[in-house]
Amino acid sequence: MAPHTPQRSSRPGKAGARLDGALPMKQDTATALLLLLPLLILVVGLIFYPIYRAVWLSFTDKLVGYPERFVGLRNYVYLANDDAFHAVVRNSLVFTVASVALKVLTGLAMALVLHATWRWRNFFRGLMLLPWITSTVIIALTWRWMFDAFPGRGFFNSVLLDAGLLSRPIAFMATPEGAMAAVIVANWWRGFPFFGVSYLAGMQSIPGELYEAASVDGASAWRRFWHITVPGLKHIIIVTTLLTFIFTINDFNIIYVMTRGGPGTATQVFATYSYEVAFNQLRWGRGVTISIFAVPLLIAGIALVSRYLLRDRTA
Amino acid sequence: MRDGRLTRRTFLAGAAGASAALALPGVAAPAVKKGTSLRLWILKTYVEPTNKAIEGAAQRWAQKHGAQVTVEYFTFEDVQTKYVAAIENKNTPDVGQLETGAPARFAGMGQLLDLTSFARQVEGEVGKPPANVAPVTVIGGKTYALPWYIMPAFWYVWRDVLEKAKVKLPTTFEEAKAAATAVNRPKDNFYGMGQSWNRTADGYGVMQSLMYSHGVGWANKDGKYQSIKNAKMQAVMKWATDIYKEGIQPADTLTWTGSGNNENFIAKNIAQTSNGPSITFAMENALAKATDAKERKTREEALANHLALPHPGGPDGRRMQAICMSFGVFKNAKDPEAAMSLIAHLLSPEETVRVMNDSYGQFTPVLDKSRAASKEYFNKNENYRTFGRAAEWFVATGWPGPVTAAAAEVQASNVLTDAPAKVIVDKWAVDQAIEWEDKKIKEIYETLS
Repeated sequence: MAPHTPQRSSRPGKAGARLDGALPMKQDTATALLLLLPLLILVVGLIFYPIYRAVWLSFTDKLVGYPERFVGLRNYVYLANDDAFHAVVRNSLVFTVASVALKVLTGLAMALVLHATWRWRNFFRGLMLLPWITSTVIIALTWRWMFDAFPGRGFFNSVLLDAGLLSRPIAFMATPEGAMAAVIVANWWRGFPFFGVSYLAGMQSIPGELYEAASVDGASAWRRFWHITVPGLKHIIIVTTLLTFIFTINDFNIIYVMTRGGPGTATQVFATYSYEVAFNQLRWGRGVTISIFAVPLLIAGIALVSRYLLRDRTA
Repeated sequence: MRDGRLTRRTFLAGAAGASAALALPGVAAPAVKKGTSLRLWILKTYVEPTNKAIEGAAQRWAQKHGAQVTVEYFTFEDVQTKYVAAIENKNTPDVGQLETGAPARFAGMGQLLDLTSFARQVEGEVGKPPANVAPVTVIGGKTYALPWYIMPAFWYVWRDVLEKAKVKLPTTFEEAKAAATAVNRPKDNFYGMGQSWNRTADGYGVMQSLMYSHGVGWANKDGKYQSIKNAKMQAVMKWATDIYKEGIQPADTLTWTGSGNNENFIAKNIAQTSNGPSITFAMENALAKATDAKERKTREEALANHLALPHPGGPDGRRMQAICMSFGVFKNAKDPEAAMSLIAHLLSPEETVRVMNDSYGQFTPVLDKSRAASKEYFNKNENYRTFGRAAEWFVATGWPGPVTAAAAEVQASNVLTDAPAKVIVDKWAVDQAIEWEDKKIKEIYETLS
C-alpha cells in the first residue's frame, strides 16, 4: 500500500489533509476490489448461484425436460405431509447422530492409543488411516458382504457358525434396525480415522507439563484425561463433529450401495430419497426441496458452533 | 469372458440364422453425408458379448457410410441419471436406446423426433412388432421410437429340486408358493423361493406381472388412473406378503439388491427366483471355464437342471411385464437422416441376428422378420425356446392402458414394492398398505395431468 504523501497537497490544513488521503484511498480500494474480483466471481459462481438456484427450484414444480413454474411453498407443504419424508427425516437423524457419536468415541480411543509411546506406533498410525483412504463404494460392498446372511458368503455368519456359536445364520440386514445398524457401522468405520488423526494432532499440542503437574498432584489417569485432554481438544471435537455431521447427513454412497434405502424405507435418508425423487421420478423441484429441508438445521448448527468458538476466542 | 470354442450346434445355429437373415431384404436407409458423426447411447448389460456385438453393428454402419459413431454406454443403474443430466444440459445423444417408459416420458418433454413415417417404412421392410409391444413406442398416435427387442425376466427353478420333492413345475403364482413350501429346508439354509420387493426390476417387474396376471391395473385402457382398492389387489398383496410371513424365503430377501437373487439361485440356496437370462449366461460361462472333468460334470448338471419358465400366471391369465428396448432420435440430433439410417441398419434382420447370437437368450427380437430369423437360435434347448416366446406374454408398464409418463413414474417411485414392504417390515395391514399405495398412484396421475 502506498504511504501517505502530504506533499502532494497544495492546500494545507484539516480539509486539505482529508483530501490528501482520499485519492490514494480510492485507488487502493479499486485495486483491492480488482484483486478480489476473481475470488468474488468464483464464490458467486460456485457457491451463491447454485444455492440460489436450488432454493429457487424448491419453489417450483420443475419436472425434468419441462420449464419450471413457481408454486410457492407447495413442495414444502407436500413434504411436511408426506409420511415417506417423515421416515426420511427420522432415518437421517438416527443415521447421522449414531455414526458421529461412534466416530467421536472411537476417534478419541484411537488418538489416546496412538499418542502413547510404544513400539510400532508409526506403523499403526498409518494402518489406522486405511479406512479413510479406501473408496467408499468398496467399503460399502465389503460391509454388505460381511453382513450377508448366507453361510459361506457372509463373513460374520461364516465365522460364528464355524466357531459353533450359532446354529442358524443371522439375517443382520433383514430388519429395519439391523439394516440401519449395518449402514451406521459402515459409515463409522469409514470415518473414525479422521477423528483419530485430528484428536491425535490436538493431543500433541497439549503441553506435557500439564500432565506432569497433574501427576505430581496425584491426579489419576481418568482425571488427567477429563480435566486436561478433553478441554484441550474441545475446539477440535466441536469442529470435527460439526464437519462430520454435515458430511454424514448428506451421505449417499454407503446407503445406496448397501441397502438402496431398504428394507422398505427403513434406511432411506435425505440424499437417497432426493436422488430417487429427482432422477427416477423426474421431479426436480421436489427432489431439491428434500435436500434443502436439512439446510436450516445445518446453518443453525454452524452458527451456534461458530458463535461458541468466537466467544471462547474473545474471552 | 466368453469361451472362444465353437460347438457344432452353435455353428449350425449361427449359419442357419445368418442364411435366413441374408435372404431377407435390408432396410432402405435414409441418405448419409460422408463424415457424419453420431453419438449412440446403448444399454450395457452383464452379458458383455451383447454389448460388444451392438457396438460392432454400429461400427459396421459407420464404416459403410464413411461416418463416425461414438458409442456411449448406460446401465440399468444409471440410465435415469444419464438421460436426466443430458436432457437438462441439452446434451442428448443423436440416437438413444430407450427403455420401456422412456419413449412416453421423453416424447412428452418434446425431446424425441416424430418417427412415424420412418417407422412405416421400416415396418414395410422388416415387419411390425407384435400388437402388445407396438404401443410402447406410440404416444398420442405418433411413433417416437422403434422397438428392437424385449429383455424379459423368467421364473427360474431348479428342476431337480422340484422333481425330488415330486412337485410339478409351477404355472401360477399359487403353484409357485406351494412348490416353495414343499421344497423349503431352512435348517439346511435352502429356501423355496427368493423374491425381493426391492428397488430394482427384479422387484417392481415381478410385482407388475403379479398384479397384471391377477387383473389389477392402476390405469384403465385409456391410460387414466383407476383405483386398485379391490379384492384382486388384496389377493396380490396377500401372495406378496405371505411368501415372507411363511418362512419360505431367506430372511434377508427384502434387502437384496440387483444381484442377490442371481447369486443365491446359482449357489443353489433358493429353488425359485425371477431373473433375466443372465443366469443362463453365467451358468454357460461357468461350464465353458470348467478346468477338470469333475467340475465340468457338476456344471453340466447344473446347466441342465436350471430351468427358465415364463412368469407364473394368475386368475386373469399370464402377463409378463418386461423391458422393451427401442431406438429414438433426439430433437437436437445434428443429422436426423443419418440417425435414422443408423437405426435402420441396427434393426435389419442381419444385424439383429448377429447381436442376438451373442446375447445368451436375453435379447428377443420383436420385428416380424427378425423374429422369423431368430427361430433356429431359440430352438437351442428348452430354456431358449421359452426365451424366444417372451413377446407372447409381454405387457408394458401401465397395463391395460398405454405406457404413459404417469405409469412410468408409478414404477419409478417404487410404491409398487414399498407397499408390500410396509406390510412385511412395518407390520401394516394389507388394506392399509393398499390404501397408501392407491393414494400415491392417484396423486402421481393428478399432478402429471
